[in-house]
Amino acid sequence: MRSHFCTRRHLLRMLSAAGVSGALGWGNTVSLHAADLRKRGKACILLWMQGGPSQFETFSPLKEHANGGGTQAIATNVAGMQFAEYWPQAARVADRLAVIRSMTSKEGSHPRASYFMHTGYLPNPSARHPTLGSIVASQCASHLGGMTGDLPPVVRIGSRGRNDSGAGILGMQWDPFELRDAEHNPANTQPMVETDRHLRRLDLMERLDRGFAKELPQEVADHTALYKRATRMILSDGMRAFDLQDEPQSVRAEYGEGGFASGCLLARRLIESGVSFVEVVSNGWDTHQDNAAQVEKLAGGVDRPFATLVRDLERRGMLDDTLVIWIGEFGRTPQVNPRGGRDHFPRSFNAVLAGGGVKGGQVIGRTDTAGIEVTDRPVMVPDLFATFCKSLAIDPTVENMAPSGRPIKLVDSGKAVDELF
Amino acid sequence: MAHLQWIPCRFVALLGIALAFHAGLASGAAPVGICDDATFLRRISQDLVGRQPSPLEIDAFLADASPTKRAAAIHRLLADPEWASTWARYFRDVILYRRTDDRAAFMAKPLETFLADRLHADQPWSHIACQMITATGAASEHGETAIIMAQMGETSDIAAEVSRIFMGIQIQCAQCHDHFTDRWKRQQFHQFAAFFPRVEIDRSPGQGADGYTVVSRDHDPRRSKKKPDNPRRGDLEHTMPDLNDPSQPGTVMQPLFFLTGQSLPLGTSDMDRRQAIAKWITARDNPWFARAMINRLWAELVGDGFYRGVDDMGPDRTAQSPEILDELSQAFADSGHDVRATFRAIMASNEYQHASRSRVSHEREGFAANCPQRLRSDQLFTQILAAVGVDESQVGNSGPGKSEKKQQSKKSRDTHAGRRQLNVPRAMFTQVFGYDPSLPREEIVGSIPQALLLMNSQPLSIAIDGDRRFTALGQLLAANKSNRDVAEQLYLRTLARSPTADEMKTCLDHVRLSISREEGFEDVFWALLNSAEFVYRK
Repeated sequence: MRSHFCTRRHLLRMLSAAGVSGALGWGNTVSLHAADLRKRGKACILLWMQGGPSQFETFSPLKEHANGGGTQAIATNVAGMQFAEYWPQAARVADRLAVIRSMTSKEGSHPRASYFMHTGYLPNPSARHPTLGSIVASQCASHLGGMTGDLPPVVRIGSRGRNDSGAGILGMQWDPFELRDAEHNPANTQPMVETDRHLRRLDLMERLDRGFAKELPQEVADHTALYKRATRMILSDGMRAFDLQDEPQSVRAEYGEGGFASGCLLARRLIESGVSFVEVVSNGWDTHQDNAAQVEKLAGGVDRPFATLVRDLERRGMLDDTLVIWIGEFGRTPQVNPRGGRDHFPRSFNAVLAGGGVKGGQVIGRTDTAGIEVTDRPVMVPDLFATFCKSLAIDPTVENMAPSGRPIKLVDSGKAVDELF
Repeated sequence: MAHLQWIPCRFVALLGIALAFHAGLASGAAPVGICDDATFLRRISQDLVGRQPSPLEIDAFLADASPTKRAAAIHRLLADPEWASTWARYFRDVILYRRTDDRAAFMAKPLETFLADRLHADQPWSHIACQMITATGAASEHGETAIIMAQMGETSDIAAEVSRIFMGIQIQCAQCHDHFTDRWKRQQFHQFAAFFPRVEIDRSPGQGADGYTVVSRDHDPRRSKKKPDNPRRGDLEHTMPDLNDPSQPGTVMQPLFFLTGQSLPLGTSDMDRRQAIAKWITARDNPWFARAMINRLWAELVGDGFYRGVDDMGPDRTAQSPEILDELSQAFADSGHDVRATFRAIMASNEYQHASRSRVSHEREGFAANCPQRLRSDQLFTQILAAVGVDESQVGNSGPGKSEKKQQSKKSRDTHAGRRQLNVPRAMFTQVFGYDPSLPREEIVGSIPQALLLMNSQPLSIAIDGDRRFTALGQLLAANKSNRDVAEQLYLRTLARSPTADEMKTCLDHVRLSISREEGFEDVFWALLNSAEFVYRK
């Protein structure tokens, strides 16, 4: 016979009685909290185009030059602002989008450029720089007085096990929580036994650790608190955010089909539930051959979800406090190669921002007519990071200590693109 | 075997009598006393072969009345091939956690193989270091190329890592400015980097991980592709950039070793440069080569290093208990850099055999106690397998799924080759539990995905199923009528000790109140595997 019966509510009480609730907030109240947090806190969604998206077939079409590769430009809802033909949905929300056409960098290798565009720093063996998500989450948390909510503060969807940037010197608690895809529950979040038995196991674990706690009180307390946090997470109402079936069919349809669409919808749900940062990865942008045809296909999976995400956030009153970023590692060569592809080109590329106080409907910077050199308003990668910080009310000069004892600023000497705001 | 006979005479004398006294005197703190036999056996097993002792090993050790049984146990475990594997994995992590390019992730296996092979064969640490510094050849077959691969052939980064790993000196702080706290000048860093400008990685496209080859490039710099971000790459000599005007060509640097002033003329071939610097770094009279290894091993085994950073030492830093460091380093150098003998020497010391005390709750006190450490990922993985009685070869290899295979294009073959390797259970476990072993250990904290994996992973849940006859628990339950015996065995399998009377009562009460005996013991097993005590080596 079972000695006691235990519901989730009971569990929460029990965990709470054990003294770990405090400022962390509880499952049942997390939705309330999230609404509250949104008023105070900022959030960020990074749409990452893995491989390096062609600027010419996305948001920087070249109309009157052979380097345009024959891609047509289409009008948007902003006079004079044109996108490549594969982005009809984004064109309808162009008034919420700011396009930077003068991004410039020197890093043309995937892993190094990916690290650069995720951290604002070039890789260096003496320190692992924190990825943008970890910066945003830890800074949001410090604004709000500690880690908030039951869900992990940083979530990365669809990166297929690539681990080019993590929390680094900020510490593992800010590492992105990885999801293979948005359609399945995150790994190991289903208890293997019924809830009440899971709780009794935890209780047993804590009791059997008592002897060890006499030797290592702090370490055991941390361990127990971690298990309680993990348990609170998987039993919290916030976990429902991962269940896209919960969303009305009309909303799902608006986001469209495919993994990236699901990822964008999940990103919105997670931000709504108090997560600070979500990265959604679209794979396959390394178009060394048949560039135009490939981008057409890829854009088909990104255009609608991207536009819907912006509109959806706006509808829910979340866009002002949520920065949406669309970027990849670098751009692609102006000249189309003999295989119809474009190769890596960091010298000039583009980035798109929406929300987070960024004024939409504007274009920053330009290149020459051949799409090669930036001729106006060059934006370096640290400048872009300073811009993210400005949007998210993060002080870019905050320093963290590398293991060597060297202080590292969140952003290294970049200057925000003030015209964006 | 001559090397096993090596006895660090001066060292043993010191350790046995004088050092405990020195340490106590220096710190003013009373040592906590020597740990008990069960703790000792668990500690040396985790440290040497990366797992807890088996119930049989524990019984035998506790029953042994010989006064030399501790030395004998160290001797026995040091001879186990798993010793070489365990420490090969440690040094693999030392090197690969600092990689600046994820394409080098596939080096994990070749590097581990190289190191395990050399350590097992008792090659001196100086030989191993020389092989790594002078490495050439196909990367996937030559694990010794790992430092170069991890930095993708970048001259300055290779120099920084060679200095950090083999000498514990972070001279790369002087890359852009004279070092703030230490004596190193910017020029000295670049003179040191000048030993490596001709190291190059050739890549044959389309061959994936097999396409990388480390080569010497001594001719025709125009053949080499210059990178736009580094216009000087491809030159035969290293140049120190002009900080005021980075577009200038900078100053050509002559190779010169900052510790000794030994130098080579410009124009020296790659292999001559690397062989020279390897010889100078590993020379018996370079104290930093020996100290770097001693500081690392001591920090890992005693839980606290002589220098705060395991890889951040150098003449301008202060060591705690420097007399122990010097004695040990001298003994290490005198032994011809014998790694196995060094383990034996450190483990024979009182400092190592002290009972443990938390590093969090106590100040550094001159090695008055052994500091408990969170197990490294590989130790924890091996320990879980040992506890549930599953051999690693039986653990399913969850390779890429069908959909992933379909998407596999020629172009992405290398990433896929890397990922296939990462898909073996041990490597997947490491993705969740791994950490850079050179980081200060107090900064390593647990993570939610770690807790989730141990709490809820399905394979682990099956492995502790009491209803299945093939599981360790199923067999224990079938063979033992007494619940007391089962609880005792579960404690030995997991925590390598017997339960206290209180713990025994807690377990038996829990089983009695459970739906079934099986369920009750599954819970006990689960709780022990998830406990903090299981995750720590103390």
